[in-house]
Amino acid sequence: MAQLDVRQELQKELHRAPVEPLLPIEKKLIGWSLTIGLVLLVALALLNHYAPVTF
Amino acid sequence: MSDTILNDLRPQRADAVTAPINEDWLAVVLGLAIFVLALAALVNVDLIGWVVTTSVWSNFSQALKATSKDFSSLGGIGALVATYVALLVVLSACAGALKANLTRFALAFTAVFWIAYASWVIGNFANFAAVTPAEQQKFGISWSLKLTNEGGYIFALIAGLIIANFFPRFAEAVREAVRPELYIKVAIVILGGVFAVTAAGKLGLASSLILRGVAAIVEAYLIYWAVVYFVARKWFGFNREWAAPLASGISICGVSAAIAVGGAIRARPVVPVLVSSLVVIFAVVEVLILPFLAQAFLAHEPLVAGAWMGLAVKTDGAAVAAGGITESLILAKNAAEGVNYQPGWILGTAATIKVFIDIFIGIWAFVLGYIWTNHINVTPDQDKAKLKEIWQRFPKFIIGFLITFVVGFYLALGTPADIAKKVPAAIGEANTFRVIFFILTFFSIGVLSNFKTLWQEGFGKLAAVYLLSLFGFVIWVGLLISWIFFSGITPPLAS
Repeated sequence: MAQLDVRQELQKELHRAPVEPLLPIEKKLIGWSLTIGLVLLVALALLNHYAPVTF
Repeated sequence: MSDTILNDLRPQRADAVTAPINEDWLAVVLGLAIFVLALAALVNVDLIGWVVTTSVWSNFSQALKATSKDFSSLGGIGALVATYVALLVVLSACAGALKANLTRFALAFTAVFWIAYASWVIGNFANFAAVTPAEQQKFGISWSLKLTNEGGYIFALIAGLIIANFFPRFAEAVREAVRPELYIKVAIVILGGVFAVTAAGKLGLASSLILRGVAAIVEAYLIYWAVVYFVARKWFGFNREWAAPLASGISICGVSAAIAVGGAIRARPVVPVLVSSLVVIFAVVEVLILPFLAQAFLAHEPLVAGAWMGLAVKTDGAAVAAGGITESLILAKNAAEGVNYQPGWILGTAATIKVFIDIFIGIWAFVLGYIWTNHINVTPDQDKAKLKEIWQRFPKFIIGFLITFVVGFYLALGTPADIAKKVPAAIGEANTFRVIFFILTFFSIGVLSNFKTLWQEGFGKLAAVYLLSLFGFVIWVGLLISWIFFSGITPPLAS
């Protein structure tokens, strides 16, 4: 029952939680993650296209 | 997944808080045990040929039989009872190791096994499962839903859903044996050996899949996570404590990643557990829709379909299960057109992609933990993220998958011909157990999916982020990536 109360409190908290603006470190995390991800994906796609593993 | 962490967050399983071993390691032990017992067939000792297997049927007396002809005298029902007893004993031992109540587990598992397997048998009825005109003629039927025999998984899932949503007290009563994570991990350990035997015949294709698996990791962690985190924080106003586990659950691997990241950023333990409550529900919706979409639109790009399941479905159980259904549906559609692909490649692709994604959960959780404990919620030194957490959060069942894969590969390629030729049949018996653990997984996922959760106070926002991110971004970008890396590649034809 105590756990149920905690869950219900958390669910209400979700409903009412104040907004936290994005910190600079978060913006860097999102930006770098996307950039590296896209660059690596393009590199892998090119590798796959020009030097595919043959079978 | 670190089940020590998971079990600490789920007080309804108070058994695991002081358990000497966690679910991951149990899955490794049990999966390897089944694999090793199966390999006894290489020295002409059949130790598990009694396990029950089901065929498509119109006459029930032909539905069930023992996997091996050596045990045909058991009959179908005998094999089924033997399978139930063996699993009851072994899984009860596992439950005991997890400090569960053994009587409750045994009763719950009895209900789970018989309902799940009955659903599987019903799903194999010819009017549901038969695909080609020749099959329909063989069974003397004029129509069929053409779900293939693996449509039985959907029946097991639906049975679980009915119980979860209309008989919640019964669902709670059998909860002790509803362990989809354990069942799918055992299945994945066995699948390593099965896939190795498949892959050994086409080394180049298998190597190609590995390269493409790397692309999957890049997409899941760097692209998916960043976009979903931004959507959760900026568009829906979630704070960091909620957004990080939520983004991980939606973009990486549902329950495992949400809990690993929640722990790494020192979120309150119940936060990732609440996030995880939604994961299974959305995974169920995906399993019910995506394989049929794949059959309709990707039948001529089978490995795109397999990769798509691995990238788009966000729990281990559902992703690998979706891969299995997709394979069955696509192979059947192509067979009806006269093209018979070798089975195992579509399922293997989905499973390999998912395993690759799982491997890096610990590393990603550490990266986020480092950022959080050093730059966002700066903590005392003793509570900062430590490298050893990478190992703590590493999903141990993958070790089992790798072991069976390496051993299976060696047996198929590195042994004398008289041994190597026996390997497919030997591992085939282990694969029958893999199918049964899949059945238990599907049923269990269904039992855990109470859709009323979506309407509970506070869950609307969580569900909205999930819906938008998964169905608005993750699924379609996953399809695009799968297409870029896997289009034009087809499985070898069956010999």
